[in-house]
Formats: sequence, C-alpha cells, structure tokens
Amino acid sequence: MTLALEATGLHKRYRRWMFGRGGQDALRGLDLCVPRGSAFGLIGPNGAGKTTFIKCLLGIAWPDRGTVRLLDSSPEDPAVRARVGYLPERLHLPGAWKPPAFLSAVARLKGVAVTATQLRALLERVGLLDSAERRIGGFSKGMRQRLGLAAALLGSPELLVLDEPTDGVDPLGRVEVRRLLESELARGATLFVNSHLLSETERLCGRIGILSGGRLLREGPLDALCRAEASWEVRFAPGADGAALVAAGFRPTQEGTFHLDAPDAAALNAALDRARAAGALLVELTRASRDLEDVLAEALRAAA
Amino acid sequence: MKTLHVAADLLREAAARKWFLGLGAAITLLLLVLIGGLRLEVVDGALAATRLFGNALFTPIRAADVALRPVFIAASYVIFYGGMAFGLIACSDFAPALLSPGRIEHLLALPVRRWELLAGTFLGVVVLGLGGATYGAGGLLIILGFKTGVWTWQPLLAASLAAVGFATVYAGMLAAAVFVRSAAVSAAVGALLLISGILAGNRRTLLTTMSEGPGRWAFGLWSRVMPPLSTLANTAADLAAGSPVAGAEVGTVVAECALFTAGALALAVWRFEQRDF
Repeated sequence: MTLALEATGLHKRYRRWMFGRGGQDALRGLDLCVPRGSAFGLIGPNGAGKTTFIKCLLGIAWPDRGTVRLLDSSPEDPAVRARVGYLPERLHLPGAWKPPAFLSAVARLKGVAVTATQLRALLERVGLLDSAERRIGGFSKGMRQRLGLAAALLGSPELLVLDEPTDGVDPLGRVEVRRLLESELARGATLFVNSHLLSETERLCGRIGILSGGRLLREGPLDALCRAEASWEVRFAPGADGAALVAAGFRPTQEGTFHLDAPDAAALNAALDRARAAGALLVELTRASRDLEDVLAEALRAAA
Repeated sequence: MKTLHVAADLLREAAARKWFLGLGAAITLLLLVLIGGLRLEVVDGALAATRLFGNALFTPIRAADVALRPVFIAASYVIFYGGMAFGLIACSDFAPALLSPGRIEHLLALPVRRWELLAGTFLGVVVLGLGGATYGAGGLLIILGFKTGVWTWQPLLAASLAAVGFATVYAGMLAAAVFVRSAAVSAAVGALLLISGILAGNRRTLLTTMSEGPGRWAFGLWSRVMPPLSTLANTAADLAAGSPVAGAEVGTVVAECALFTAGALALAVWRFEQRDF
C-alpha cells in the first residue's frame, strides 16, 4: 500500500514566547497514515489539533517531535508541495483582484502553466465563471471558499488537503463541491478533509480519523467505525409476539425491527434461541450501525 | 525565479492601493504643473529669466547648469526624506499583510521557499521605492532639460541612492514585522531607523558634543551599527548638484547601508524560517 501521507509520533507544543517553556500541547504523539487514492476525513471538536496537524503536514508549522512524509518525501521539499493542493480554513484573498488574476498568481508560484481558457474552465468547475470579472473583495464567504478550492485544484494535484472546504457554502453548493471532490477522487487524487460537518465527511470520506486533545482516538474505514460491535438489528417474520421478544431481550425500533445488545456470539445465539422458542422466525440479522455523530460522541466520552 | 513572482505580485497589489495611486498622481500633477507653469528663458546657456505662472522670479543671471543646482539639491532631499517618510508609512503594511492568517498558510503550502517570500517582498518594495524616486527625478530632469537645454543624469543617480536608503530602512521594517506582525510596529521601527540613521550620519559631530562616559560610549557603539542615512542623503544631494564626490566615499556609505540591510534581512529570514503559522 503506497501512502499519500504518513505521520509518526507527531508532537507539537505552541509556546507562549519564542523560547518559553509554557504553552499548550496541540498534538501529542500522533500516528496517522493515509493511503494514496483514498478520501480521509479528520474530525474532532474545536481545539482538537486538526488544523495544527494539517500545518505540520505542509511545513507551515514545525513539529517538536516526530516525522511527516508527504507523497514519499519531506514537506520541506518545494517539489513535493507542488503536487499538493491546499485550502486553508480562512483563506485571505486580495480584495482588489479578480479571480483569474488571483489564480494566475497562484499558478505562477506553483509553477503551473495555465491558459486563460483553462482558468475559465476551472472557474466554471467551481461555479464562479459568472463572477470571473468581479473583484474578489465583493465575494461572499461561499464564493471565496469556491475560489480557494479552485486555487487548490490548480495543476491537478495528487493530494488535496482541505480545511473546512464547504464552510460558508450554501447547501446546493455543498453538493456541487462534493461532486467536484468525488471527481478528483475518481481521477486518482487523495483527499484529506478536515471538517466540522460530519454529514459531509461521512458522504465523501471512506476513512475517518477522530482527533481530540492532540491524540488520534479512532481511525479506520467509515463502515468499520460506524459498526456497533455488540449491537444487532434483527428482523422477524410478521406475526412475531412483540411482548415475548421484549422479554427475550429485544428492543423494538420505530422501523419495525428489533435491536439486540449481545457482547459475543454465545449471547447472540442464546437470545435468538429464546426468540425462536417464542415462535418468532428470523428473516434478517445485521450489525447495528451508527452515524458519525454517535461515533464521535462515543469516542470523546471514552477519552474523557 | 519565485522571488521575482512574489515581487511582481506585491507590485500588482501596490497598484491597487490608494496610497500608491495617490503618490503617482501627486508626482504626475507636480510635473504637469512644472510643464505648464514654469517658463525658463535661456540665452547663450545662461538663465535670463524665470517665470512661474507668468510671475517673474527675480534671480540673478547665471549659467543654466549653475542655476539648476539648488533645484536638483532640493529635489534630491525631497525625494530622499519625503520619499522615505511616505514609503515607511505606505509600505508598512506589506509584510504584515503577507504574514496575515489565511494568506501565509496558503503561500507556505505552495512550492515556494520561506526565504523567497521575504526576498520577494523586499525586492518588490525596493522596486516600488526605486520606481517612485526615478519617476519623480526623471520627470524633473526631462522637463528642466527641455526648458533649459541642460541635460544631466546625476539626479537619477541621487534618486537611486534614495532608493538604497529606503531599502535599508525597509529591511529593518521587514525584520520587525517578522517578529511582530503589525503595520504600526513596522512603521515605528522605520521611523526610529530613519531618525537613528540621521544621527548616525552626524555621529562625529555629535560625539564631540558629548562628555566622556558610558552614554557617549553607548551612542558611539549604537551609531556605528545604524546606517548613516544622513550621509547618504548628503552624498545624493552632492551628486544631484554635480559636485565632485569621491567614488570611495559613495562606496563606503553605500556599503555601510548594504551591510545593515544584509544583517536585518538575515535576522528576518532566520526568524521566518523558525516561525510557526
């Protein structure tokens, strides 16, 4: 498995003064690997260290300890950063400029040759073509975010690092952004998304990491994280005796199924035997799944 | 190459700022006033009469090149000190803007080295200063050249020395901004450097007025480190007037300023390379 990014034992402490001892730990020994071609979502509460992690990845902040590898090289190497597209959380844009001028400036610094036609196509991709001749100073937050995304997409980067990519974007715009990012993923790019919007992360990312207090609490494929190991969804054939099932340990749900908590296979089968003894016929058994919000809440509770 | 791109972007940014549009308009207006309002009558190489908006200015009849010397000296000082005072206010925001949250992260994630960002910012501001000084001095030269037939390139050299002086001050302002991201601090450091530079240029005279002691010693040390800006301004004025100036004298004062500039830039780059954003 080739990795797009790899962080090992990453530790970062923000000091109050240049040589001071005080300060706050933002990252505490973080280990994280993101395979190439995957979409990884980093979630966590405010102050968890998500943005610091991104800054350490891209050489914007220097970790105190640990190593970072970006596309098999050091983030200090400008040639590697040329293969990365980055959208900061709050991108500052030159208000007096127009979008093509800003994108041209970014392209020059990135060493990417772009024509006016390519710039127009890029602006069209992010839904800003109609505003191409407007000054950026008059843009809404969502429009600025789209322009930042366009800048990140310049040069078809192998890795896209996006800090709150849909922040300020309207609901329909979020769908457009998601489609755009899905197309980048289909192209073979790796996505690393840092977002507060769990539903967006859930829809876009196949792998999730939960960060809190500078530590990675959980990390893995989305379905594995959302799967509840000790909980099951059970569907019985019509006509089953509800009261008998409740007595056997099943909890009815609003969808007409039953929920069962069974820590192991023996407890699961014992409960099913009790249900069958009460005349219920099993037609479907699946592991119960939770949404990302539940997973995050549970991870944070466990860490606390 | 990236340094040039950063510098070019800074110039584009400056072109959109009202400060610089205002400066360009003011210089142009002044030059237009001179074109339309100033009438110089030159007879056999001598300035016979001077009229400003039709009013005769009573000046003795002198050779035109001699008569223009005070004008070039005055213009040189105005460009040096006036340009520097304008520049340290108008340019104080460039480095803090470069380091502003949301912008510096984006720039640092691009394939640009940190020192290239600082070098590009410095270069852009220096080009801006040199451009303004050259535009003002060059415009004046052309107008007076056409009106009197006296053509000299030395005021342009004086303007370039003014740019050297401004570059020296801006290097200190840039270093200050890297330590404390504030336009006010940057401008204050620029003003302090300008005053220090004027005092440093007069260090010998000032030292003779001081009695022996730690204060004199400290001033001697401090004024040795500061760039001798007033000496540079005087040298520029002498050059503008066509007075004989020893090449070694110009070289020494420029080298002292260049040394200070290099030191300030090295300090800025050292801090910038270490800083987290």
